[in-house]
Amino acid sequence: MPKPKVGIFSLTCCEGCQLEILNCEDELLDIAGAVDIVSFGMAQSNNPETALDIAFVEGTVVMESEVEILKAIRERSTTLIAIGACATYGGVAAMNYEVNRKELKEVVYGADAALIPSITPSPLHKFVKVDFSLQGCPIEKSQFLKLLGYLLHGDSPIFPDYPVCAECKRKENECVLVQHNIPCMGPITVAGCDARCPSHFNGCDGCFGPVDEANVAMEYHVMREKGMDNDEIRRMMHVFAPTAEVFKKDE
Amino acid sequence: MKIVKLSKTNVFQFVDHLKSFGEVHAPQRKGKKSSAFQPVKDNSKLLLSDENYTRTILPIKKYFHKPIDTLLKFSPGKGFEDAYEEEEAKVLFGVHSCDISAILTLDRVFAGKYVDTYYFRRRKQIAIIGMSCIPDEYCYCHSMGTDFVEDGFDLFLSDIGESYLVKVGTSLGDDMVSTASDLFIDYDEKDTDEYKRRINEFPTLFVTKVDETNLPAILDMEYKSEIWEEMGDRCFNCGICSMVCPTCFCFDVNDELCIDGESGERKRCWDSCLFKSHAMVAGGHNFREKRSDRFKHRFLHKHQEFMGEFGRTSCVGCGRCTQDCPADIHFVGMVKRIKGDIACVYEGNNKK
Ligand code: SF4
Ligand code: SF4
Ligand code: SF4
Ligand code: SF4
Ligand code: SF4
Repeated sequence: MPKPKVGIFSLTCCEGCQLEILNCEDELLDIAGAVDIVSFGMAQSNNPETALDIAFVEGTVVMESEVEILKAIRERSTTLIAIGACATYGGVAAMNYEVNRKELKEVVYGADAALIPSITPSPLHKFVKVDFSLQGCPIEKSQFLKLLGYLLHGDSPIFPDYPVCAECKRKENECVLVQHNIPCMGPITVAGCDARCPSHFNGCDGCFGPVDEANVAMEYHVMREKGMDNDEIRRMMHVFAPTAEVFKKDE
Repeated sequence: MKIVKLSKTNVFQFVDHLKSFGEVHAPQRKGKKSSAFQPVKDNSKLLLSDENYTRTILPIKKYFHKPIDTLLKFSPGKGFEDAYEEEEAKVLFGVHSCDISAILTLDRVFAGKYVDTYYFRRRKQIAIIGMSCIPDEYCYCHSMGTDFVEDGFDLFLSDIGESYLVKVGTSLGDDMVSTASDLFIDYDEKDTDEYKRRINEFPTLFVTKVDETNLPAILDMEYKSEIWEEMGDRCFNCGICSMVCPTCFCFDVNDELCIDGESGERKRCWDSCLFKSHAMVAGGHNFREKRSDRFKHRFLHKHQEFMGEFGRTSCVGCGRCTQDCPADIHFVGMVKRIKGDIACVYEGNNKK
């Protein structure tokens, strides 16, 4: 059986997710043995535009031209996987996606505003069908490898559907929220990072995006008790997953 | 029962002695305000009974039923292989009654219809040395009848001031004591009096008390109570209460697959009935659709179903779930509210 053809692509972003893939140093040889990496902007210069079995796409769509690029990738790929907060939720680039683009451009670029081709920063699923998303800003290397394993076995991926708190407690971390009144989005953020931030005595900023059925109202309530006001809480929720449906209703 | 006396000045020497029976793990600081069972490297870091350590973040179930446990490995040439690697013997030093009681409960769960070999092979490798304690505002083991254990320990140390009375529970415990006989002396009448004084005083030290009599029946009658929706609105379904509970045992089993496309590992991981996927079946149907259904399920499993199956509630009153709940849900308050003793869970029950 020929090796599956894989492409790794980048739209507007810091390219941190690609870097995370490149950081799989110990596994890169295995990866190269298992798949045929046809396209990988960060790692190679010859990236032919052939049909792909799996396309991994990072970044936010912020320009018309990117919509076209994305659609073309979708067209030639059997499976398209959004990687990272930008591709899944718009990420940091979409933090103010609700603000009128035209006005924003005029404020920033003045008379040149019309020359700037930017559109409302949006996640991939607004334009194309996304088969699966890997969360995080950046993604977790371990989750990337796990996903690749599932795909190569032809199995559907199984990832946590519960909040960061569960991972945090499995690691026996002291709770920064309950014990130290440090704001933490762990209770409403989907697990998968092995509670990276609370393990280093920081609150979770929610870079993995909201967990299914996140209790956003209660998070507002608890964060207010920790001294934040509604606006601060809203902004905290909108850093990585601004376009997430659950964050649209304020409390 | 053999009982000897250990002067507090000899405790560290005894801990050193115990190292010949296995790697000693005992409560030590974890984070700024918490403690955890960890390997003992420096005896001076130990939290003993008079240092007022109440509960570790995780109970000792983490040693027998690991948070994440690789059960087997598989690959084309070798088929399925047991992933268990014989572990060094361990001695858990300073386990409180509630946590010992919880392990006896887990023993019954894991020895059920399908005996859990993963749990029991570790159970055999790990000795338990109990230690008396002083309750804080979250403890209610006395109400749950777990403040005192008659078995489940190899040794049990009861603080009587300048020394500990050491109860010997097993032949292994007897070996631990008899091979260090110069550290122990006989107790006298004064020690007996002090021991009795302390156990009589003990129940008066609890600020949190609850009476669970009749609770299973009342839970039945309150199955449709509005309290579940109210709690469902509050609860994050984060699962912390299950993770930290010494008697929650649920796990999920999944295969992790290697990128060679052929081999992989089967792992089990602590699960919780608070998670949406816990009662999800093929086709995406869910027996416990709503957050409130899941909250209710955990409560009923601990305080009602367990009663039917094992003749007691599975809650040992360790206080972890209430202390650690980010939504500030007070489980004793819940019991009282359901029984009609108080009108609101949050009145006078707030943690901070
Ligand atoms: S530190 Fe944050 S993620 Fe960890 S248990 Fe507490 S609230 Fe949850
Ligand atoms: S703890 Fe939160 S912010 Fe930190 S890596 Fe995990 S999901 Fe992202
Ligand atoms: S710890 Fe509290 S918020 Fe989390 S699942 Fe348990 S009851 Fe709900
Ligand atoms: S239900 Fe709560 S108090 Fe009872 S044993 Fe479990 S963690 Fe401890
Ligand atoms: S309360 Fe829930 S998580 Fe705990 S043992 Fe029962 S079903 Fe499992």
